[in-house]
Amino acid sequence: MDFDLLMPTSAAEAIALMQENPNARYLAGGTDLVPNLRRGIGAPDILIGLDGVEDLKGISEGGDYLTLGAGVTLAELEGSGLSGRYGALSAAVDIAGPALRQAATIGGNLCLDTRCIFYNQSKWWRNANQYCLKLDGDTCHVAPKGQRCHAAFSGDLAPALMVLGAEVRVVGPNADGWKPISDLYHEDGLAHLTLAPGDLLVAVRLPVVSRDLRSGYLKSRLRKAVDFPLAGVAVALRREGDAITDLRVGVTGTNPRPLLFDGLVGGMDQGPNDDALSAITKEIGQMIKPMRTTNLPGLYRRQMVTVLTRRLITDLYDAGDRKE
Amino acid sequence: MASIVKMNVNGREQEHLIPDSLLLIEFLRDRLGLTGTKRGCDGGECGACTVLVNGKQRLGCVTLAKSVSGQSVETIESVETRGRLSRLQQAFHEKLGTQCGFCTPGMIMAAEGLLRDNPSPNEAEIKEALSGNLCRCTGYVKIIESVQAAIEPGGVSP
Amino acid sequence: MNPPIKNTVVGARVPLIDGVEKVRGVAKYTADLAPEGALVGRILRSPYSHAELIKVDTSKAEALPGVVAIVTGKDSPFPYGIVPIAQNEFPMAQEKVRYRGEPIAAVAAIDEATALAALDLIELTVKELPGYYNAKDSRAVDAVQLHDNKPGNIERDVHNSFGDVEAGFAEADLLGEDDFHCEEVTHAHMEPHAAVAEYDPQRDHLTFWSVTQVPYYVHLMLAQCMDLNKSRIRVIKPFVGGGFGARTETLNFELVCGILARAAKGRVRMVLSREETFLTHRGRPAADIHLKLGLAKDGRITAVKAEMAQYGGAYGGYGIVTILYAGALLNALYDIPAVQYDGYRVYTNTPPCGAMRGHGTVDMRHAFDTMLNRMARQLGLDPIEVRRRNLLEAPTETPNGLQITSYGLPQNLDWVEQASGWKKRKGNMPKGRGLGIGCSHFVSGAAKPVQWTGQPDAVVNLKLDFDAGITILTGAADIGQGSSTIVAQVVAEVMGLDFSRIRVISNDSAITPRDMGSYSSRVTYMVGNATLHAAQKLKARLIAAAATALETEPENIECLGETYRVIDSQDSGISFEKVVQTALIDHGAITERGTFTVPKAFQGGKHRGGAVGSTMGFSYAAQVVEVAVDTDTGEITVEKVWVSHDCGYAINPLSVEGQVQGAIWMGMGQAMMEATRFHEGLPLHANFLDYSFPTMMDSPDIKVHIVESMDPNGPFGAKEASEGGLAGFLPALAEAVAEAIGTEINDMPITPDKVIEALTKKRRADKKRKRAAS
Repeated sequence: MDFDLLMPTSAAEAIALMQENPNARYLAGGTDLVPNLRRGIGAPDILIGLDGVEDLKGISEGGDYLTLGAGVTLAELEGSGLSGRYGALSAAVDIAGPALRQAATIGGNLCLDTRCIFYNQSKWWRNANQYCLKLDGDTCHVAPKGQRCHAAFSGDLAPALMVLGAEVRVVGPNADGWKPISDLYHEDGLAHLTLAPGDLLVAVRLPVVSRDLRSGYLKSRLRKAVDFPLAGVAVALRREGDAITDLRVGVTGTNPRPLLFDGLVGGMDQGPNDDALSAITKEIGQMIKPMRTTNLPGLYRRQMVTVLTRRLITDLYDAGDRKE
Repeated sequence: MASIVKMNVNGREQEHLIPDSLLLIEFLRDRLGLTGTKRGCDGGECGACTVLVNGKQRLGCVTLAKSVSGQSVETIESVETRGRLSRLQQAFHEKLGTQCGFCTPGMIMAAEGLLRDNPSPNEAEIKEALSGNLCRCTGYVKIIESVQAAIEPGGVSP
Repeated sequence: MNPPIKNTVVGARVPLIDGVEKVRGVAKYTADLAPEGALVGRILRSPYSHAELIKVDTSKAEALPGVVAIVTGKDSPFPYGIVPIAQNEFPMAQEKVRYRGEPIAAVAAIDEATALAALDLIELTVKELPGYYNAKDSRAVDAVQLHDNKPGNIERDVHNSFGDVEAGFAEADLLGEDDFHCEEVTHAHMEPHAAVAEYDPQRDHLTFWSVTQVPYYVHLMLAQCMDLNKSRIRVIKPFVGGGFGARTETLNFELVCGILARAAKGRVRMVLSREETFLTHRGRPAADIHLKLGLAKDGRITAVKAEMAQYGGAYGGYGIVTILYAGALLNALYDIPAVQYDGYRVYTNTPPCGAMRGHGTVDMRHAFDTMLNRMARQLGLDPIEVRRRNLLEAPTETPNGLQITSYGLPQNLDWVEQASGWKKRKGNMPKGRGLGIGCSHFVSGAAKPVQWTGQPDAVVNLKLDFDAGITILTGAADIGQGSSTIVAQVVAEVMGLDFSRIRVISNDSAITPRDMGSYSSRVTYMVGNATLHAAQKLKARLIAAAATALETEPENIECLGETYRVIDSQDSGISFEKVVQTALIDHGAITERGTFTVPKAFQGGKHRGGAVGSTMGFSYAAQVVEVAVDTDTGEITVEKVWVSHDCGYAINPLSVEGQVQGAIWMGMGQAMMEATRFHEGLPLHANFLDYSFPTMMDSPDIKVHIVESMDPNGPFGAKEASEGGLAGFLPALAEAVAEAIGTEINDMPITPDKVIEALTKKRRADKKRKRAAS
């Protein structure tokens, strides 16, 4: 590693620095970027540290929105108690380990690089394997015949924020506005973020939820701490009487981007039932593509998306039941 | 590029000219000789380098030294006061919370961070707070007992 | 059994004597040493699985400013290895590379960046050969040989038969037969590998610090591979951050560091990355097992026949010993009249395997005890009762010539049965929950060292000088298991002194007597006995001195630690310091030497390889594991473990508990999640995310009960405490999971995907059966 670390104090300054240094990288908590740089994944001359950027900080609630600065750490999010109302934000509690959550940020988690067992390796390793499509090579070792990178997005927060209807504010040389989180991503492990050069993710906002939107997040992993999700599912639903009137499912860990499934209420007039749940998981199953990017098999991760989706829908539906 | 970085480490003001890319763990170990902070992995996986930055758990191996300039850093070397072990240190010693000792400084610092926020954690809270600190010797049973002993009145020798 | 001994220091829950340094963060490990002006050493590792090495061109690298020395295989054409008859590894590759990660060359440079840049400039010319990553492919008829003298890529095949196996099967009421596969696992000690070598070109001397468990082997192998007289080498072991067997053999980076320091004519510091530490490996090999077991309907074992193939990696290493262990320790746990074993140690193009906690015995124990549990169920018998019907009775000799002198397995079974509520609960667990049992055993030190010298197994010196402090000089390597504490306790006990007069100096070849090091759980037993011997001699000497001072005969003197006096006299006697002063008159500093040697009778059967598995005392363990299984996700939660361990006598019960908990937990890692995985010989696990071992959140309470069978030959009756329990976890978990999900899983680790796969198969089979029935 050999780079200059610039430490701007405002978003505008950060963006200006990025325009001056097009090969620079933003550095948020560093928990994803630094290990990658230590492995020789990328060698930027300049890092633009976001630690001191005040306008990325803070959680505020005003009007119709709850706004989270992109620089809010996962520990701060966890400590905010927001997961009481926004159940899916419990996703932040179990990410990595406590020390990493002190550094890691919301913005960083949303912009996490995609992961693959053929990519998150040392330079020696990748060289011995003739590199890969994602970096310095021309073959994807996960699917050697194709020309696509299948590295999986493994951030926990994205699906949770998606089902809560969150938007992100991206500011850049040619951008400043709010857009749905889904628009932040491409289905391409090579370049899964839609951010243009210089663009900075500044904040996330989510509609202040009425009490009847229930949400939650569950993930599958080999260990109960530290590990990235093999698959993660967020669900938000609205229950009116026996019916589910609004249902959204977000999925992470299976594709190069997090996926949002919306408008899934078909057949749920009387609440969750096997046919309707099967239809939902079938629809999701057609979109997800867990490949050999982790040490546990893709088939298992696919099964877990189904299991966790069914479990969350049923549990959230019933949880309301008990409250009433 | 190198920069002059000021930092309070274990109560002493430090001012050093260091490369921007220097990791906090390298700064502590190689520049300040504070080798109590251990390197166990290639980045962010094991917790052996846990230190406190402004009183919160951080990993020295994924933190750039320059990025915490102006802040206060505490390492295992700061925990004892004038030759007297802290209650956590005493407990880890007496209850065999340490075997080979390599994860111990990180484990104690993680526990120290926990106790500052929550002076009387229950077992689940202890496990959660130390979940990012790996140990290969103890099976963790006596580590948990050590933290519990440290917070119980009379749990360790005076 | 020996009569119980009334002790004060021995038998007490004594914290580690080096624990304070560890909790203060001042304990110095190898990477914490910062010798002034040391060069940075870095290794060039093979990117190829299997290739002829035609040329290693270092000319461009040598021209790089800041590069001080570069070494290659040419700098050390001397093979090394742990087993003298099977040394086929070189510090750096010679004409062939045989695994990805094998050292080819090394650079010493003024800093890390320069060293890494130099590695990039070394050019390799090779001819690639096919790589083999499992036993089946390696053993295929058309496979290229990894080593010219090993046809079929078999390092060693073992064929042993004791008793009449076929008659045993004929006599059985139930025969069980199945295949088991255990993935390769590795030690993953928290401290990455490191070494510091300091070469003095004027004196042609090498001083060497390393992370080793056996400094003596490092000393021998440095001498051998550097062609340097042993007297010109000094090996020092700083604090070591765990070993678990990984650091028993001398490791390639240690030799490379020494060779590099000589070439650089100075100091070289080599700190390996975590990835390189994984590549250095020496873990427990993957194993394919085929097992056949016969039981009479009352649960008596009539015969067993086991076949095992181990994927050993690219070099001999410990391979012969590992494959022999697996067969030998089919014996000595239960009373089995007939045992046949066929073992195959196979070369593969992966990092060499070696010794890992429970060396050689773990995977076979999984297969055996899992089969025993299953067949007990089929016979409608309680698995604990079945074990009771197959107990040994000490003292006895097994069919393969192993001596059993103390045997606490019955008491172990009683305790775990009672503590876990087994009788009421087993078979009546709620859906998704299960209880399982497993038993295991291990040696208290290999009776016959791999390096035969005729010297005692252990020598301990006690130095007593004008300061009236006792310095224990031992070569036993404390790697966190607490061996220094044990020897200090033994001396304190015998001398009646507290720790303030005692210090331990271990592991500096210039000061401490040679020791075989920390492996095969030998230290408490062998070094403990040598220490006891030395302390008794020293005490006798001081009693004689006190007798002189008090003008009486030694037999009239009693030692009260800080005071020596005439037995039962009312006078105040004389102080320890006064006794020491008297003892030093006309003599000066005293060094009292204690030794221990395992008698021939304990060194195993007469058959080829019969020494492997032999010991003076086997430890015994039984454990019950309780699990909850989420049958939708396949996730297993270990709720609790009850383990009872017969360690003979607990010299330090605190330490014994810690060791047993660590061993059980390591077994849990292997049973639930740990596995090395390779992509064409490249590790997919070389970090702590992908080689996942349990975090605190995954780890259960482990209740330890100590059984003291008072071994007749162990120091104070003590024997092994830190390996024996590991193996039993695997079958105990398999049995608990089987109860929880109603179907069997043979292969290790039992990851959640395997649970789901097994449940899916079961559902299909159930459906098919229902359809057939209707």
